[in-house]
Amino acid sequence: MTLNIEFSVKDLDFYYNGNVHALKGVSLPIHRNQVTALIGPSGCGKTTLLRCFNRMHDLYPRHRYEGEIIFEDRNILADDVDLIKLRSRIGMVFQKPTPFPMSIAENIAYGLRLKGVRNKGELTGRIEQALKNAALWEEVRNKMNANAFDLSGGQQQRLVIARALAVEPEVLLFDEPTSALDPISTAKIEELVVTLKKHITIIIVTHNMQQAARVSDMTGFMYLGELIEFGSTEKIFTNPDNKQTDDYITGRFG
Amino acid sequence: MDLEKKRKIESIAALVFSTLAAFAGLFWLVFILGDVIIHGIGALKLSLFFNDPVPAGMAGGGLRHALVGQLMTTFFATLIGVPVGVLGGTFLAEYARRTKYARVISVLADIIVSVPSIVIGTFIYALLVRPLGHFSGWAGSVALSLIMIPVVLRTTEDMLSMVPWTLREAAFALGAPYYKVIIQVVYRGAATGILTGILLSIARVAGETAPLMFTSFNNNFFSWDMNRPIASLTVTIFQYAMGPYDDWHQQAWAASFVITVFILILTLLGRFVLKWRFKQ
Repeated sequence: MTLNIEFSVKDLDFYYNGNVHALKGVSLPIHRNQVTALIGPSGCGKTTLLRCFNRMHDLYPRHRYEGEIIFEDRNILADDVDLIKLRSRIGMVFQKPTPFPMSIAENIAYGLRLKGVRNKGELTGRIEQALKNAALWEEVRNKMNANAFDLSGGQQQRLVIARALAVEPEVLLFDEPTSALDPISTAKIEELVVTLKKHITIIIVTHNMQQAARVSDMTGFMYLGELIEFGSTEKIFTNPDNKQTDDYITGRFG
Repeated sequence: MDLEKKRKIESIAALVFSTLAAFAGLFWLVFILGDVIIHGIGALKLSLFFNDPVPAGMAGGGLRHALVGQLMTTFFATLIGVPVGVLGGTFLAEYARRTKYARVISVLADIIVSVPSIVIGTFIYALLVRPLGHFSGWAGSVALSLIMIPVVLRTTEDMLSMVPWTLREAAFALGAPYYKVIIQVVYRGAATGILTGILLSIARVAGETAPLMFTSFNNNFFSWDMNRPIASLTVTIFQYAMGPYDDWHQQAWAASFVITVFILILTLLGRFVLKWRFKQ
């Protein structure tokens, strides 16, 4: 099986607040049009790693990257990377739904306008398409001007996914996207993740191991800032090489 | 005396004294307001809004000059004070977030809020009136804007800080530059709170007299000219109430009533906006 590589993470070290060593020598490939899950106990560094891909850490002072993440032959951790452009190509969905304080339609138009879409007809068409792609269109088509906060938590999360999809990113990062949702909403999001990988590359951080097993193709197990084991999801969950991985997925610790 | 009895007596004493204190406060409040309303409504005539003063001692005339002067002075004060206050608050809550620098400015703003307004008046007198050689409407507006700025700045800072940080992260994650995150997302989240702060700050300066006496002074004639002394309801109230003519006293009552109602409306509007926000 030959797979295209979207990112290759090489010897990545990350420090918070100048000296808190949160990632230690992490190396892994992220395959294009696949779902890669990052699992591990709280504080293991999986979210920290996820937030390296769109340089979210740059919003806070005193952080430091060492090592490389190669994306299209370039190291996206370099100082001269245009973060605005990078983030418009690598979208992110957060743990808690983050709708903006505006209408449903405007939430999606926001990203499109950032990309320079001004034409009303084009905006309307792309808003509809994004909502369809996020499996939300049927539920909101008659209330596009309603406040986004009026939606349920699960709908808000799909709205946020639609908003991220509207700008046509190549990669979507999910940071525990269902940990605040009920089981039915969770199932919808998981279904969506599997559908979306046809067009985009997905990295998902999750606390829920069944979820990782259900949606992902590749899985990385992290512990104390290190990537302990990385491989196909099937192998990680059935026959891991590492004892710690085995202990974690069988629930003996974490 | 047993403990329980002692407690009961203490409790009754506390109740009696705090009730008395509350009534003492309320009495004067109702008295002042009632007096303004009774005398004000009695003296209120439609002609007051359309006529300028007549020579002292003659009956008739109106307050049009003071009404217009008051509105102009307050309007330009708002025009200066609101942008400075909002942008300053934005700087503190966003760009200088969690820095020592921002904390120092916040504390200073809090101190300026409690500086007597007459001090601001004399300060602007020294800065804009003495050097130019004459009182002016502009000096009045600047003095009022200096009173507004710390209020608007602190409200803006607090309201922006209440917008959850994850919302900013979400906007950044879409590839938005910081200024667009602030203007299009954060301001929207904080809009009603900031608006309330602005309304209350206007209400605060609309009733000021002392800073205007040293800056816009007063004018017995109708004037649009902000470069010259301009009338205001508050200073006119002062002048007329101190004057010897009964007609002046009547007009001072009417002016007091008008300005009280104006401030009352602004305050209620501010409250209403805030309530509406939290209902959302």
